[in-house]
Amino acid sequence: MNSFNNENCANCPAHNLNNLVKLGIDMSNFDFVVALAGNPNTGKSTVFNSLTGLRQHTGNWPGKTVGRAEGGFIYSNKRFKIVDLPGTYSLLSTSTDEEIARDFILFGQPDVTVIVIDATRLERNLNLALQVLEITDRAVLCLNLIDEAKRHKIKIDDRNLSKVLGIPVIPTAARQGVGIQELLKSIYDVASGSYICKPYRISSDIKGVNKAVEEINRMLKQKFPNLPNTRWIALRLLEGDQRIIDAVHSGEIAELAH
Amino acid sequence: MSDSLILVVLLLAVSILAFIFYPEKGLLNKWRSIKSNNEKILLEDTLKHLFECEYNSTDCTLTSISGFLSTSQGQSSKIIVKLEEMGLVKPIGTKIYLTPEGKSYALKIIRIHRLWEKHLADNTSIREEEWHTLAELEEHKLTDDEVNRLAAKLGNPLKDPHGDPIPSENGEIPEQKGIELADLKEGDIAKIYHIEDQPLKVFSKLTSLGLSPGMIIKLIEKNKNNIRIECEGEEININPILALNVQVVSISDSEELIESHDTLSNIPVDEEVIIVGLSKSLRGQQRRRLLDFGIVPGTVIKARLKSLSGDPTAYEVRGTTVALRKNQSDKIFIKRKNIV
Amino acid sequence: MKIDTKHDDPIIATANKLRWEVGDYFHDSLIESIYKEAEVISAKVVTTAGKKSQFDFDKFIDRVVTSKWTGFPIMFLLLAAVFWITIIAANYPSGLIASVLVDTIHPLLKNLATSINIPWYINGVLIDGAYLAMAWVISVMLPPMAIFFPIFTLLEDFGYLPRVAFNMDNIYRRVGAHGKQALTMTMGFGCNAAGVIAARIIDSPRERLIAIITNNFSLCNGRWPTQILIATIFIGNLVPPIYGGIASAAAVVSVALLGIFFSLVVSWSLSKTVLKGEASAFSLELPPYRPPRILQTLYTSLIDRTLFVLWRAIIFAIPAGIVIWLVANVNIQGISLAEYFIRFVDPFALFIGLNGVIILAYVIAIPANEIVIPTVLMLTVLVTGVSGVGSGSGVMFELNNIEDVSMLLKAGGWTTLTGINLMLFSLLHNPCSTTIFTIYKETKSWKWTLLATLLPIMMGITICFLVAQLWRIFASV
Repeated sequence: MNSFNNENCANCPAHNLNNLVKLGIDMSNFDFVVALAGNPNTGKSTVFNSLTGLRQHTGNWPGKTVGRAEGGFIYSNKRFKIVDLPGTYSLLSTSTDEEIARDFILFGQPDVTVIVIDATRLERNLNLALQVLEITDRAVLCLNLIDEAKRHKIKIDDRNLSKVLGIPVIPTAARQGVGIQELLKSIYDVASGSYICKPYRISSDIKGVNKAVEEINRMLKQKFPNLPNTRWIALRLLEGDQRIIDAVHSGEIAELAH
Repeated sequence: MSDSLILVVLLLAVSILAFIFYPEKGLLNKWRSIKSNNEKILLEDTLKHLFECEYNSTDCTLTSISGFLSTSQGQSSKIIVKLEEMGLVKPIGTKIYLTPEGKSYALKIIRIHRLWEKHLADNTSIREEEWHTLAELEEHKLTDDEVNRLAAKLGNPLKDPHGDPIPSENGEIPEQKGIELADLKEGDIAKIYHIEDQPLKVFSKLTSLGLSPGMIIKLIEKNKNNIRIECEGEEININPILALNVQVVSISDSEELIESHDTLSNIPVDEEVIIVGLSKSLRGQQRRRLLDFGIVPGTVIKARLKSLSGDPTAYEVRGTTVALRKNQSDKIFIKRKNIV
Repeated sequence: MKIDTKHDDPIIATANKLRWEVGDYFHDSLIESIYKEAEVISAKVVTTAGKKSQFDFDKFIDRVVTSKWTGFPIMFLLLAAVFWITIIAANYPSGLIASVLVDTIHPLLKNLATSINIPWYINGVLIDGAYLAMAWVISVMLPPMAIFFPIFTLLEDFGYLPRVAFNMDNIYRRVGAHGKQALTMTMGFGCNAAGVIAARIIDSPRERLIAIITNNFSLCNGRWPTQILIATIFIGNLVPPIYGGIASAAAVVSVALLGIFFSLVVSWSLSKTVLKGEASAFSLELPPYRPPRILQTLYTSLIDRTLFVLWRAIIFAIPAGIVIWLVANVNIQGISLAEYFIRFVDPFALFIGLNGVIILAYVIAIPANEIVIPTVLMLTVLVTGVSGVGSGSGVMFELNNIEDVSMLLKAGGWTTLTGINLMLFSLLHNPCSTTIFTIYKETKSWKWTLLATLLPIMMGITICFLVAQLWRIFASV
């Protein structure tokens, strides 16, 4: 169990320091760590630059973040480290990029994961957003390119979306700097614990496997009573995901409980 | 001749000599180790053959072994003697059986073979006909550790691309449960469970017909000379002799049969259709990427424009425009909207 | 044998048992169910009001740029325009930078060094070697890249480049590559190192490697001047003077087209042989058209592409400048190292229709193709002992008058065959060290780096050899 992270200390950092160090993140000068996830082509790097104020130049090839870029910002006297994860369509497939993103969110337990999505393609982008919400409790949805959506006469009820997903939803147009202040505030609120997320979890039936999922789920719950989302772990075990098999076997998975 | 030409010639000569005689990595040494490896390969192949006999409940004899290994009876009996000394087999009368140790050794070899085939199918562009031959070489090379890492990388698959179960790390393998294609009755629906990859000629004939494990088929009619099935929207005629190499599991649920004859590649620009399924021959990363794009059964998809040379075509799916090559859209099954 | 305890874990054992019941296509069903929920959620919150007018605009552009009649002309005209702007607009700043760094600051530094009595060899190594190489690289590399990359990035931002990939994919599919390789190849015409980095846009491993390894077949910015100079001297002179310009231009374009041809052939053979075992999955998304942000683009492409590549080139140019100066000035028994080397390789070099000077120039000018011609000129003066040209041994220089260059090279024993083969060798030789380093950075593999380095040089030697033999057969008839 993460000792920082108990009920008595609501606004203490929630990240997993040991794992972050293992993942190569130096936290010595920072209070919170924020992960930035999203599909390719959603303007994720623009959001990253807006948050860090371009002071931290990423040195990345525009249009494609490879590996991981890091930056930082200060908000309300707290120092935030922000990690730009590679743009992916999913967290369930087997590419290296997806593994990097998945392991960072799952094992690094960032204080906030900002999911950048393209407002003009909500449905397609929700695929990744829902997968991220399966593995973290603290997230903010950044509904980017809202200007483009307006041009295309697409209207998104962000309050309702926030209610459904159980996390803050902030419409932004990062290119114009619209919504960045609100995004910063939401990140701060979630990180400091003043906004408690109730993340949406996938619950619908998966053709013909419910019995199997339930059986493993029951066993997991018994062994790791504090784990927030054992159903997801059961699904990963059924897919033969070696990283999760190892984590369940070694008991490392229990560290993720809070 | 000038100095530099002489030097070039000398350098070349030295490097060729080094290439042949270099310790451990030189050709000569490689040839020697191949010779000693050869025995290992023969022993391992024999174990594999014995296991397959037992798995398919047929009897193994010296004759069948020399047939399988293409060696003389004399050499085969030497191999059996050697295996018996190692405690891996036990002859009873003319029949030869595996000891428990022999069985677990054989399963290890089979595990590598099938994992390697899965790896070739999912992660490389190597053609189907070559998988078996390459896996045949690889199965004698990988160490336990390498095999487990390979399995982890592949997501611990259950079956190889031919539909054969892959034994687990500690040698568990499910019971055989398939029946022959020819044993189906007319109108029966079944899933292709396994396509025997030996002999190669028969296998490539079957794959060229478009058959692949995991596909749902329906037996339309059968007689002595021909078996006609429906498979992914196409009717296929199979020679009954070829059909002996196809094992199926009958399923009661007819919903899984893809009855549509239409593929995504057939629709004109601007037509909107509904996806009903992805062919099982879309594998590995390719399949996962399409799924990630939201190309799943039930999705509405619309052809948006063709590239100036006609291939690829761009499709609108879930608000994004994605270009697919014809060899991909050929494997995506759809139903027309106006029929619904 | 290792005892594996994982299977003793009841949860994992149960999961493994259940996996057999769940079957192979579990992943499919999982994604399907996630998308079902995504559909439900977005149906709740998204409303589309009125007609999607903007949408039709996108469609209109798409129809035009992918149509059979307008697609290709637009593509070629745009490309030609980009190159034309780059070449024309880069001339002036290039000259300006050269006049400041080479013609003004260099003599100043020399005078300063003499006045404070720095020994001549230190002065030579640092000022004539390191400084001059760096000055040269900056003046010839910076302006074209600073113009080419922003224009390219603007087209990328607007959304046009993915359509080019879409149009070209059919050709690239046939050679086992990805349509986006058309883009990395075009980028390579600016700078191969940048082209190699640009291959990141290809997310299928096999196709990405093909794009990286074949990028060197794009005639980069640093090689165009060599091509134009040599073509003017040796090809232009073969025809009556009024056609000289056209003939030499045609020769240069043919070499560039030959490069494209080689990149396709090599892509095809790589995909059929060494790269057969790499994963391949085609995907190409066509993003909506977006108005490009000019200032932002200028800024990022200057920082990310131009300065990034230039910095790497400078780092490699400085030691090379030192080496160039040293080989021309370190003497053993009165003969410089350069001359030893040239005499030594001359027989082999002449055999394949080149000469020792060219070989040495390509060896020591590995950091940048831009300094090949200055090095060739300097070495030719050194070997022939022609007086009155150049600025001393080990000091690279360029001549403004093409006639002078022609005379100098002919004094060095150059023939038309040497000219043709130099043009071919300039296309087919190892990538510059900046590119080699970048290939290693991108692939993280010595194997692929070595292949990308050795393959073109082997091809170059072979082609030069063949051309020389044919030339000799026909010339003697």
